[in-house]
Amino acid sequence: MAMAVEAFSDEWAKLFEDEVNRSSVYKAAAKGWKWTVGLVVEAEPDKNFPEARGIVMDLFDGSARSIKVGSAADAQACNFVISAPYSRWKQVATKELDATKGILQGKLKLKGDLPTIVRYTKASQEMTECTTRVPVEWPDEK
Amino acid sequence: MLGGLIDANIANNAARRKDFDELKARVGVWVTDIDEGVTLEFQGGSLVVSNGLRPKRDITIRTDAETVMNLSNLRIGLFGMPVYYDEVGRGVVAKLVQGKLRIEGLLGNIATLNTVTRIFSVR
Repeated sequence: MAMAVEAFSDEWAKLFEDEVNRSSVYKAAAKGWKWTVGLVVEAEPDKNFPEARGIVMDLFDGSARSIKVGSAADAQACNFVISAPYSRWKQVATKELDATKGILQGKLKLKGDLPTIVRYTKASQEMTECTTRVPVEWPDEK
Repeated sequence: MLGGLIDANIANNAARRKDFDELKARVGVWVTDIDEGVTLEFQGGSLVVSNGLRPKRDITIRTDAETVMNLSNLRIGLFGMPVYYDEVGRGVVAKLVQGKLRIEGLLGNIATLNTVTRIFSVR
């Protein structure tokens, strides 16, 4: 049984990267993808998440070349950017909120070429599944 | 998001732009699993997007969020017809048969539905 890691930490990013690269579903669904994706996790100090963080994902043709934690600005420099407060991302990672529905409802803000991201809906769904497989310690539950 | 998707599609594709310029219809899209929807009023070259379902719609599509995305992933084949025999198309047909995708106003508006599907398609 894997040890839980702190959400959106460097250790978390490594485990997430490993999960994505283990996924044959993602590999097939993301064939042809060649853009970077940034996830901006907005600060919620009252949830013990005092500073925004960015997850920078270098994704290419079905694999994650690297997934790293950086600043929000690092994530915002990516080709596609999805932004939401910490608690929303927690809802996505715990399957309380489906990412597709979240984007349609505007709960997750998406920047980038919409036709491309819609074309790869299945890949983004599998990527969300991969996040749920990483055992996590949530800051607001400490 | 649907308005943004249409904008991007017609900017990238002359055939879709032509469809958009010729289409005059009021189309409702209701996403059943989030209980929200929009009305898209195509006015022959312009589009007005309103929250909720406005009256006097020509077509109303009622389905879940995943199927809304899958509708945009339908391939367009011969004569501009959506392709329903590949994996995405079969999934859409299955939802229709199961009653999880409902299209009100379909009879009499098939050509409009095909045009709207082409405009939405990202393939």
